[in-house]
Amino acid sequence: MAALPDDVARVALDLPLRANLSALDNVALIPLYQRHLDAAEAVRQALAVLDALGHADIAPLRDPDMTPAQRFVTQLARALMLKRPRLVIDRPGAMLYDVPYPEFIKRLAAQPAMTGTWEIFDFGWNQALYPQ
Amino acid sequence: MNAVKSNPFHFKVGLFAAASLLLIGLFLVYLLHARGFFEHTYRLKLAAASADGVAPGVPLVFSGIEIGRVASLGLNDNGGIVINVELLERNARWLKQNSSFTLDKPFVGGAKIRVDTPDLKAPPLPDNSTMLLLSADISKEIPVLVDRVKTILDNIDHLTRKDGELNATLANVKTLTGNMTGEYGMLEGVLGSPEKARAVTDSLDKTRALLSKLDGLALKMDGMAVKADTWLFSQDGVATQTRASLQQIRALLDDAQSSLKKADAMMTNAVAISADVREGTQDIARLRAEIDEAVRRANALVNEINKKWPFARDPEVKLP
Amino acid sequence: MNFFAATLESLGAKLVGWFDVGYGMFAFLARALMLLLDPATWNRATFDVVIKQVYFTAVQILHVFLGYALVISWLIITIILSTAREFGLTEFATEMAIRVLVLELLPFLTALFIALRSGSAINTEVALMRVNNELDALDHCKVPPMQFEFLPRLIGGVVSVVTLATLAGLVALLLAYLSIYGMSMAGFEAFTRTVAKIFDFRIVAGLAMKCALFGLAVTLIPVTAGLETPKKLFMVPVSVLRGMMRVFFAIVAIEVMSLALKYI
Repeated sequence: MAALPDDVARVALDLPLRANLSALDNVALIPLYQRHLDAAEAVRQALAVLDALGHADIAPLRDPDMTPAQRFVTQLARALMLKRPRLVIDRPGAMLYDVPYPEFIKRLAAQPAMTGTWEIFDFGWNQALYPQ
Repeated sequence: MNAVKSNPFHFKVGLFAAASLLLIGLFLVYLLHARGFFEHTYRLKLAAASADGVAPGVPLVFSGIEIGRVASLGLNDNGGIVINVELLERNARWLKQNSSFTLDKPFVGGAKIRVDTPDLKAPPLPDNSTMLLLSADISKEIPVLVDRVKTILDNIDHLTRKDGELNATLANVKTLTGNMTGEYGMLEGVLGSPEKARAVTDSLDKTRALLSKLDGLALKMDGMAVKADTWLFSQDGVATQTRASLQQIRALLDDAQSSLKKADAMMTNAVAISADVREGTQDIARLRAEIDEAVRRANALVNEINKKWPFARDPEVKLP
Repeated sequence: MNFFAATLESLGAKLVGWFDVGYGMFAFLARALMLLLDPATWNRATFDVVIKQVYFTAVQILHVFLGYALVISWLIITIILSTAREFGLTEFATEMAIRVLVLELLPFLTALFIALRSGSAINTEVALMRVNNELDALDHCKVPPMQFEFLPRLIGGVVSVVTLATLAGLVALLLAYLSIYGMSMAGFEAFTRTVAKIFDFRIVAGLAMKCALFGLAVTLIPVTAGLETPKKLFMVPVSVLRGMMRVFFAIVAIEVMSLALKYI
């Protein structure tokens, strides 16, 4: 699992958020330091991604204050922000342990602004949770 | 990263940075002022016979306060030593054309160049002028000092041994007291000053000054004695009018004695201060012995005068 | 013979360990300096983080620190003055107080203060970032943590120690003047002369250099110590312990070096 190529954006338990930054800043890091955009533009883009996922309200929260679902959304927003060809969600059950996660992810994916495919890797015994 | 909302740290950090920079800037300006960056550097050349003990950094001292430093040492074309001293413009006002420069090498502490300006109203010393540096090395002065004390004592001895000369002096008392009160006044001016509690060098300077005064006094008495010989015997005798004058000369001699005691106290002081300096101890001890001797002999002198005193004694004068 | 071999081996291992630590530290410093030269570093975001770091390292504790500097200075000045009076060396008291406090003691205490407060915090935070995989996550996102985590801390440390030591020094100067001459301008000229005598260019530059090195030591060493923590939560306290020991040794080494340069 760890040896995925560089063009894959992962959402995984072993890639946590930066604990002392807000959700917004965690996402904004990428345009800010990878693409060297200025701070205002980076924050605007980050907010746009969170908004597209329908969770603009979690922007000021920091990692310890989030519910597992909110944390997952922020990690997903960060992965989306990377704008890589593939997006892999690695064992979502470990991160979304208090919601029926296949539906939750499906709801997020159904947001009108979402494009591309998300690949979900999960344990075989959870096969039953996925209808298709 | 929080550029959208106003950053709560910015104001405080800005205030902190502005205040710190302001303080640092003020301090740097103060430092530049203190180091004379905004002032012209005043240069002075001192010609000396020997550069022994002088090195760059040796302070130039006026009234005990450092006003400049030796910047460099060098030789001139004639092989003489030239000491370059630098000081700030604001300190140069203490240097006048009649200032004297003395190299002090005290027993305790480093060497320094002392400036003495007797008259602060004298015309100022121009920049880059050359002055002579005198030496006041105590260790070299001590033998000279001892010799002088001996000479004085010899003079006093000479004076008292011969009855004729003393009598002649007593007879010639009018002129003599006229002269001597002048001397005496200066003597007291030197001895009575509150500075006697100062350090070793000053004590020795004072002692030296006192001794030279006594020296002069003795010489004058000698001179008077020769001149007065015939005059004394041509008169009817020592007239009553001279009694008051005679009392004056006795008071004078009493004072000479107490002056020597003061000098003695200074020397005690000097010995106490330099007690740690091993090298100087022997010299100082010898000097101390000489001074003791001087006091003892001065006592003897006054006693002798008292003995020979032909008139009513003043019971208030107590001699040790 | 076995004993000797074992001793030699452990000595060798220790030397290699020290060399590794030193090398890691200087390599890290070199990377940080290279980044300083990169114009891309100098954007608004980096500046904001630096400001945040300066706030947490210096401004937040300013009142506590100045109070502490005031008490220490007052104590030392009083001791020096009374001792000088006793031995009749009052003329040297001002110079002695300034030299002891402004040039040596206050910068040293400032560095210790910052090391205790910010250095240990930085060490813990970096160690936790490493143990929690936060650094791996940043790596996955191709965001180098140097620019927004480490470099601002180094800059903040240097700026803070230099500024706080300067402020404490100014407080001590003021206090020394007031203790010696009281509330009057009478001694200003004499005081100015003493100040001029002490602070020549070499001394001021050396003092600034020393404070900057102190600031670097109390931030660089904790960061590198945190980065080499093994990925086990129970190793975090050990990492802080090691880092703080190194900081302490570095501070003493810098102080000794500066004294050696000044008086030898």
